[in-house]
Amino acid sequence: MKKKKRFEWGYLLLLPGLGYIGFFVVMSAGIMIAQSFGMYNAITGETAFTLEGWQGVFSKSFVDALGFTLRTSVLSALISIAVTYPLALLLQKSKARKWLLPLIKIPYFVPGLVGSFLIVNLIDYHGLLNEVLMLLHIISEPLRLRNDANGIAVIAIHVWKNVPFMMIIMFSAIEGIRQDVKDCARNLGANSLQVLWHITIPLTVSSALVSVILTFIRTFNDYAISSTAGPMHPMSLANLMKTTAYSYNDWITAGCIGVLMTIVTVIFMVLYTVLGKYLQNGGGK
Amino acid sequence: MSVSLTVSDLKMAYGDFQALKGVSFHIEPGQFVTLLGPSGCGKTTLLRCIAGFLEPQSGEIRFGDKRMNDVPPHKRNTAMCFQSYALFPHKTIYENIRFGLRMHKVPAAEHDALIQKAMDMVGLTGLGGRKPYALSGGQQQRVALARCVVVRPDLLLFDEPLSNLDAKLREKVRVEIRELQKELGVTAIYVTHDQAEALAISDVIIAMNHGVIEQIASPRTIYDKSANRFVADFIGTANLLHCKYAGRDACNLTLDTDIGGFTVTDDGYDRLDDISVSWRPEDMTPLPEGGEIPQGCNVISGMVRNSVYMGDRLDIFMHSGDHVFRASVARDYDIPEGSPIRFAVPYGKTRIVQG
Repeated sequence: MKKKKRFEWGYLLLLPGLGYIGFFVVMSAGIMIAQSFGMYNAITGETAFTLEGWQGVFSKSFVDALGFTLRTSVLSALISIAVTYPLALLLQKSKARKWLLPLIKIPYFVPGLVGSFLIVNLIDYHGLLNEVLMLLHIISEPLRLRNDANGIAVIAIHVWKNVPFMMIIMFSAIEGIRQDVKDCARNLGANSLQVLWHITIPLTVSSALVSVILTFIRTFNDYAISSTAGPMHPMSLANLMKTTAYSYNDWITAGCIGVLMTIVTVIFMVLYTVLGKYLQNGGGK
Repeated sequence: MSVSLTVSDLKMAYGDFQALKGVSFHIEPGQFVTLLGPSGCGKTTLLRCIAGFLEPQSGEIRFGDKRMNDVPPHKRNTAMCFQSYALFPHKTIYENIRFGLRMHKVPAAEHDALIQKAMDMVGLTGLGGRKPYALSGGQQQRVALARCVVVRPDLLLFDEPLSNLDAKLREKVRVEIRELQKELGVTAIYVTHDQAEALAISDVIIAMNHGVIEQIASPRTIYDKSANRFVADFIGTANLLHCKYAGRDACNLTLDTDIGGFTVTDDGYDRLDDISVSWRPEDMTPLPEGGEIPQGCNVISGMVRNSVYMGDRLDIFMHSGDHVFRASVARDYDIPEGSPIRFAVPYGKTRIVQG
């Protein structure tokens, strides 16, 4: 006779965690998806299924915003890693790292909005940078670095904010390479550059990829920095979503933008998870 | 090609701690030399100075006639087997072994044959495609060994390479290391704190303590004729008893101890102040009750404190005066705790050591 499966009461212990995920993640994502189809409006209470939002979401302003956000996010992540990687390598060898590392990490703990104001003061029309360049006669009139269409200010602030974040990951990765492995390479005839090329970089490249993905996700979804230092056109996606909902009161289209932003984030989260598993299985090491 | 190694008055400090206090020795080409001593005695520091990983404060290191102090590690043509194996985790076994060949700019056409030969030598045939994590500890150690020998170094360095292996495997791999070194004829320096390993594997043992060399000798000499109290105690097991010189005749010296007199065959001892008498547990023969004392032997009397069965022998710990001595006897010997016991130790097996 087939034995009846006993209910495992222990699963109830998962409820607090699953409840949190269910309520705040699944439900809010569900509401956003429903909203994109006109099914739920938390303000007006109106509910009517419509594809209007999805038919109109891919407007020029959306495509421009997507292009701007992707461009600034990708560039921010790439510039951040280009700054962080050599800096982490130098710091690892530096005797001053005990006090340099905590200093470098400071921007990570400064709120994005405060960081924006700090950097904007430096790069604004009459900010320190422009004034110094003018004083040195390198430029004849101030450069427009804030609210510019290329998002230079946004990228600069993202880099300022994300280098410390990446540094935490990259420094641990570089520190994690055993000294005897590097010594062994030297002992077998490798000079410092060859040790870097054949040992350090291959053993840390996966961590660099992980930090690039995480930084991309952070910058892709940013609102605070792009709204203070970014241009009015094109906007960032987060900015566009906010404006569509609050200024145009178009919650359906805002829902569609939110869904699309979430999809991009999920794709990169999956990529991050796959890479993480690969690392856990000793793929990179 | 194997080279001689000369180390002259080498000093090295970590902050206030003087790890090497003026170490000097010379190794002939093709010799297998072990640096032996307890943790913190400076043996690994010395090895790392020879490899070029550490810069000594003063002193000189020469490979043959060439002064090496200012030569960077990658140009010294040494190859070191690390305690942790230090395999490159992202490379396959084949790539690990090939690394040194690439760095030494050996033509790529020769790589396959050389790697195959090195892998065959250490019994790794067919494992070239695996990553290090997919190998056992013993196999990883062999990869490290193959990676070293493939580059034909002038000097092969071993930093406690067997300490992560189990006892049986350790014994097997150390024989393989010795055979390989003999086959290649390369000069080897081997660091260990395991005296049994040092005795089994070396042409010459350099016993170190607190950053100085206590004795340089062959395994047999260092065991049978330990220079001082530290060496006698560290290499194997020794019974040690402070003593005073009492007299000398044509063949023997007599010594006073607080458990009675000792006679020691005169081996040309010259320094006779601050000395101890030393003998090995395996040189103690139990005497039957009421039996005659054999000629040419010291007699040590006491009570059995306890005995420990070691499988191949029985170790008896005996009280004699305020001292506890250890004797190793045949494994079928049986004596209850608290029994009176006498041991005979030949004059020739009793030594005088400094300290």
